[in-house]
Amino acid sequence: MTTTATDKPRQLSASQLARRRRMAAWKRTWGQFRRHRSGMLGLVILVFFVAVALLAPLIASSSGLDVTKANGPVLAPPSSDYVLGTDENGRSVLTLLIWGARVSLFVGLLATLISMVIGTLVGLISGYFGGWVGRITFRLTEWFLTIPFLPLAIVMSTVLGRGLFNIVIVIGVTSWPGTALLIRSQTLSIRERAYVERAQAIGAGRWHQLGRHVLPNVMPMVFANTTLTVAIAILTETTLSFLGLGDPTRVSWGTMLNGAYEAGAITTGCWWYVVPPGVCVVLVVLAFTLIGQALEEVLNPRLRARR
Amino acid sequence: MATFGLVLASLLPALAVGGPAQAKNKVVFKVAMLGEGVDSLNPFLGIQAPSYEMWGLTYDYLTGYSMTDMSPTPSLATKWTTSPDGKTWTFTVRKGVTWSDGKPLTAADVAYTYNRVLHGTVEQSSWISYLNGVTKITAPDATTLVMKLKKPSATLPLLPIPIVPQHVWKNVSESEIKSYAAGPANGQPPVGSGPFRLVSGTADGSTFKFEANPDYWGGRPHIDEVIFQFYKNDDSAIQAMEKGEVDFVEGITALEVKNLQGKAGITAHNGNSPGFDEIAFNTGSIDTKTGKPIGNPNPAVLDPKFRHALGYALNLPQLITKVYQGGGLPGTTIIPPAYKKYHWEPPSNEAFHFDPAKAGALLDAAGYKMGSDGLRTMPNGQPIGTLRLAARSDSQESLNTMDYFKSWLSDLGIKAEVSTYSSSQLTDVILKGNFDAFQWGWYVEPDPDSMLSYMTCGQRGNWSDSWFCNKQYDALYNQQHVQTDQAKREAEVKQMQQILYQQSPYLVTAYSSIGEAVRSDKFACFVPQPNPGGVWLEQYGVYNYLHIKPASEAQNCDSATAGGQLSGAVSATQGDSSSSVGMPVMIGGGVVVLLALVGGGFVLLRRRATVGDRE
Amino acid sequence: MTLAAADPGLVTAESEPEVRPRRRGYASYVGLKVLGSIGSLFFMLVVNFFLFRVLPGDPAHTLGRGRLSTEAQVEAFNKTYGLQQPVWQQFLTFLHNTFTGQLGISVQYRLPVSQLIADRMVPTILLVGTSTILATVIGVYLGIRGAWGRGSRFDKVTTGTSLTLYAMPEWWLGLLLIAALGVGFWIFPGVFPTGGLHSPDVDPNSLKGVLDTTWHLVLPVTTLTLAYLADYSLIMRSSLLDELGEDYLQTARAKGLRDIQVRNRHAVRNALLPTTTIVALNIGFVVSGAITVETVFSIPGLGLLATDAIQVPDFWVLQGTFLVASAGVIFANLIANLLYGLLDPRVRT
Repeated sequence: MTTTATDKPRQLSASQLARRRRMAAWKRTWGQFRRHRSGMLGLVILVFFVAVALLAPLIASSSGLDVTKANGPVLAPPSSDYVLGTDENGRSVLTLLIWGARVSLFVGLLATLISMVIGTLVGLISGYFGGWVGRITFRLTEWFLTIPFLPLAIVMSTVLGRGLFNIVIVIGVTSWPGTALLIRSQTLSIRERAYVERAQAIGAGRWHQLGRHVLPNVMPMVFANTTLTVAIAILTETTLSFLGLGDPTRVSWGTMLNGAYEAGAITTGCWWYVVPPGVCVVLVVLAFTLIGQALEEVLNPRLRARR
Repeated sequence: MATFGLVLASLLPALAVGGPAQAKNKVVFKVAMLGEGVDSLNPFLGIQAPSYEMWGLTYDYLTGYSMTDMSPTPSLATKWTTSPDGKTWTFTVRKGVTWSDGKPLTAADVAYTYNRVLHGTVEQSSWISYLNGVTKITAPDATTLVMKLKKPSATLPLLPIPIVPQHVWKNVSESEIKSYAAGPANGQPPVGSGPFRLVSGTADGSTFKFEANPDYWGGRPHIDEVIFQFYKNDDSAIQAMEKGEVDFVEGITALEVKNLQGKAGITAHNGNSPGFDEIAFNTGSIDTKTGKPIGNPNPAVLDPKFRHALGYALNLPQLITKVYQGGGLPGTTIIPPAYKKYHWEPPSNEAFHFDPAKAGALLDAAGYKMGSDGLRTMPNGQPIGTLRLAARSDSQESLNTMDYFKSWLSDLGIKAEVSTYSSSQLTDVILKGNFDAFQWGWYVEPDPDSMLSYMTCGQRGNWSDSWFCNKQYDALYNQQHVQTDQAKREAEVKQMQQILYQQSPYLVTAYSSIGEAVRSDKFACFVPQPNPGGVWLEQYGVYNYLHIKPASEAQNCDSATAGGQLSGAVSATQGDSSSSVGMPVMIGGGVVVLLALVGGGFVLLRRRATVGDRE
Repeated sequence: MTLAAADPGLVTAESEPEVRPRRRGYASYVGLKVLGSIGSLFFMLVVNFFLFRVLPGDPAHTLGRGRLSTEAQVEAFNKTYGLQQPVWQQFLTFLHNTFTGQLGISVQYRLPVSQLIADRMVPTILLVGTSTILATVIGVYLGIRGAWGRGSRFDKVTTGTSLTLYAMPEWWLGLLLIAALGVGFWIFPGVFPTGGLHSPDVDPNSLKGVLDTTWHLVLPVTTLTLAYLADYSLIMRSSLLDELGEDYLQTARAKGLRDIQVRNRHAVRNALLPTTTIVALNIGFVVSGAITVETVFSIPGLGLLATDAIQVPDFWVLQGTFLVASAGVIFANLIANLLYGLLDPRVRT
C-alpha cells in the first residue's frame, strides 16, 4: 500500500515542500479521477442532486410542504398540475422530493462527518500507539463491529427521540468502526516508513509525528472512505425513517416512503409516491459508491487492475 | 434477472398449488386483524384489545350488551334483582349450559371466577374494578348467585369478566397463573362455554383458529370456523382480502376504505366507534403530594378563557376532510353521541364553530390584546411566547392536527411550535407537566363514569392528562356516582360535560371511526354496534360471530334486535342502582390497556394512542 | 472445539514463504480467537444490559398503567420483575440468568422469552438462511464470470446491476416486488401473496401447508437474495481480480495451463477465502435485512418480535433478541476467523 506522497524525503525545511508535494498529488489524483468513467458518472449525478438541494427554495416554494396549505387532490396520479402526482395530504410529490434531497443529503453528510472524526481518531490512536492504548482501542473497535448495526441504531433513536440531529448522532455513532479499522491498518503501514523513523530519531514528539506525518498520509484514504460512508449513512437514514424512527416534522426521502407505506400507496397502485423517492435514494447512494470506488482505485494503485 | 428465474424455478412445485383453496363444505370466516396482536389467552393476564376478542369467543359473561346503545342485557344471567337498600344483588344463572369438556356450568363457576378476582393478586389487575365494593359472592344453588356490597354499587349489573371453569382453574396455583397460557393443549381447546372453541393459536402467534360450539346455549353459530390472521401492515391485509384469502379486514384507514368501496364483492365503511380525539391543554400541573406547581406550562393555557376562545379557531370540518380523510365526525364533548342517554350536545349559541374573528374578539376581551409586532400579549403586557404543541410521532393524524392548530394559532397572532414524541415519551412529558398542549384520544366505555373521572382533581398525576381540577365538576361527579335516579344521573352527566366545554381542558376535535371491509359476496347479516352507524366486528359482545351467514342466505338474516332474541325474555330490575363499569385499554405505540380505579366506581375505557392503528 | 487438526504443515501456503518465521501454531491462534470472542460476548452482555435500561418509559407505567393503580401494586410489579433492586444487583442477576439460559418472562406476552425466541427463530432462519445460501451461490458464480471476462458485456451488466442493488434499500425492493408481483401492476398479474407466512386456513404442518409457506416465502426470499447477492458478487469479483494480478498466476499461465484450469485450481480457491469470510462477517447485515423485510412482508420472525418490543419497552424480549443477534455475529466471526486461519496461515501472525 504505497501512497503517492512518498518520493524522496528531504531535510526538515520540508514543511512547505511537503505541502506543495501534497498539492501536486491532489492534482494528479484529480487527473486520474477524471479519466475514470464510472467515477465521473457518479460525480455528475451527485452534483445534480447537490444543486437541487441547494436551489430547493428557488425551484419549489417551501409552502408546498405545509399540510395546512396543501389544496391538491389526495393521492392523485401525475398530471400537468402535479408532475409527479400528490401524496395523501394533497401535496406535490415533486416538491417533497426536492426538499427531501436537502434532508437526506444533510443527514448523510453530517453523520459521516461525525463517523469520520471518531473513526479516524480511534484508528490513528490504535494504529500509532502500541501497547495497551492501541490494544484497548483496537478491541473496542472490534467489539463495536460485532454489535448488530440496525438494532443498535433503532434502540438509540428510540432513546434519543425523534429529531434530525438525533438521527445524525445515531448514524454517526454507530457507523465509525469500519473507518477506524481501515485507518488503523493504514497507520500501521505508514508508521514503519523511513521518514517517520527519521523524525523519531530527530526527536519529534509522538503527537507531532501523528499530526505532521501520519495524518496527512492517511487523509486520502479517509477521503475515499468518506464517500462510501455517506452512501451507508443515507441508506440508514432512509431505513430508520421508513421504520417510523425519523423526524416526522421534516420531509426526507425516507419519511416520504414511510408516508407512502402508511397511506397504503402500494395496494392502491400509487407508484408515483413509492417509486421516485426510492429512485432518488438509489441514485445518490450509487453516486457516492461510484465516486468512492473510483477514488479508492486512484489512490490505491494496486486496485487499479480491478477496472 | 437470472436470480429471479432461479428462485422461481426452485419454487415451481408451489406454483402448481397456487393460492390456497377454500375448504369445501365448512363455512370458514377469516378475519384479518391489524395492529398489535393477542398478548395472552389467559383472561387474567392479557390487556390488548384483540385478546378480549379471543376471550369473548371462548368464554361467557354474566351480562351482555345491547346492539343499539351497549346497555346491559341478559347473557349467562337470565335476570337479576337488587334488594331495596341496593346492597344485595341476586342473579339467576342460566340452566343447561355446559363447558366444552361436557361438565355443567353452574353458579358455582361464576362465584369461583369472581372470588378468584376478589381474593387473588394477579387476577385482580384487569377485573377487580368491576367488583369494587363487593364484599361477598356466593352461589347458594346451581342457578343463583348472590353478591353482597358495602354500599350501593354503580358497577352492576355490567360484569364483563370471562367466566372460567372451576374444575380446571382450581388446579392453577397463584404462582402458576402468572405464566399460565390457557391456550389449546394436547390437542384440546381451553375449556370454555362460549360460542366458539380455540383449536389452535398461541399468545404471540399470528393465527388463531376457532371452531363453532355446536351445543352453545344461544344457538349454534351459522359459521363453522373463525380464523383470525394478524397482519403487520394494512397493505398485506387488504391484498389478502382482494384475493379472497380473508373475508374481513378490521382497522384500515379511511383512504383504504374509499379505495375498497369500488371493488366488486367488497363492502367497506368507516364504522363510528365510541372514541374521540382531542387537543388537550396543561391546565395546571402540580406535585400531587405537596400541591406545588411542577413543569413549565405557558401561563396563557392556564386561563380557561384563553383555552375556550381557541375553540372558535378550530376548523373541524376541514380537519375531518383533510387529516382524517373523511373518516370520523367533528367532535364536541368527551361523551360520544353513540351514548345517546349521556351525550350533551352544545346548543347552537354555545357550540364552537370556525370563526377566527370571534376567537380574536374573545381573546381581546380576556386581555390577550394584539401587540404592535402582530403577536398577542398576556393581559399584563408580557409576550405570550411560543406555545409548545406535542404530537405523537406514531400517528400521522396527530402530527397533522397539530400542524393545522399551529397555523390557526398563527392566524390569531399566537406563536406555536410542534414537536413529536413517541407515546411512552409523551406520557412522561405529561406527568412532568412540561407541555402546553398535546394531541391524543380516548376510547369511551358504555358507562360514562370512567371517562368523567379522568377529569377529576383526584386523578391528577394518575389518569388525568390535562391536570384539570374544578370543584363544581368534582361535586357533580360524586353525585352522579351514587345517583339512583337514572334521569337525574343523565342530567348531571350532561352538566359535567357542559362545564368541561366551557373550561376547555380538552378541545374535542373528532369522533373517531374504524375502517372495516367485508367480502360481502361471501358473508352477510352484519349488524353494526351502535346500530346504526357503528362497527361490525370488534363490538361489545359477540353478536355478529353468532349471527352472520354465508352470502347465499342473506335474505333470511336473524332479526337484528340484539339481546331480545336471546331466549329467556327477562325484565331485569335495572336502572335504579346505576353505576359505572369500565375497563380501559390503551392502545398506544403498540400497547397499552389501562384500567382505572376511581373513587368508588370502576371504569373501562380504551385509550387510543395510535390513531393510525384503529382507523 | 477440536484442536487436533492444528498442524500448520497441513496447510499449503502457495506464496510468501518468508512469513514463516513469525507464524504461530494453529492451536494458539484458535485459543486467541476464542478468548477474543469470549471478551466480545461479555462486552455485548454489558451493552445489552445497559442499553435497554436507558430506553424511555417504564414498563410498570406503560404496561401497568391503570392496571396498577396503587403504589403497592407498582411495587409488587417491579418486585416480580426484579426492577426494584439497585442496578448493579440487577446486572448480576441478569448475568447469572443469562448463563443459566433464563431470559426472563416477556412483560408483553407473559411467556418465557426463550420460548418466544424459539418460536420466532424458525421463520427468520427459513427466510434468512434460504436467502443467504441462494445469494452466496449465485453471487459467487456471477462474481467469477464477471472477473474472468472482465470488461465484457456480461461483466458490465452484472457489475452495474450489483452496484444498483447494493445502493437500494432492501425493503424498497420488497415494496416494489409486492406492488408488481403481489398486487399486480401493468402487465404483471398479482399472483404472489403480499405478506404473512401462510394462508389463514391452511394447516402449516400438512404437505399443503409446506407448499403454501414456500409460496409465501417467494417474494421475501427473492428480495433478500437480491440484496445480499449484490454484495457477494462484487466482493467475489474484486478478490478474484486481485488474485488474477498475483505473480503465481502469471507463472501458472506461463507454464501453459489452460485458462479454465488456472481459474479453478488457483485463483477461484484463493478468492473464495475473503468471500466466505465476508459472508460470515455479514451476519450483522443479514440481521438488518431480516428486520426490514420481516416488517414489510409481515413475517412473524425475530426482527418483528424485536421491533414490537421496543414500544413497551419489553426489556426481556429486547435483551433476548439482541443477545441472540449479537451472539450470532460473534459466533460467525469466530468461525470465519478460524476458517481463515486454517486456509491461509499468513493471517496467524
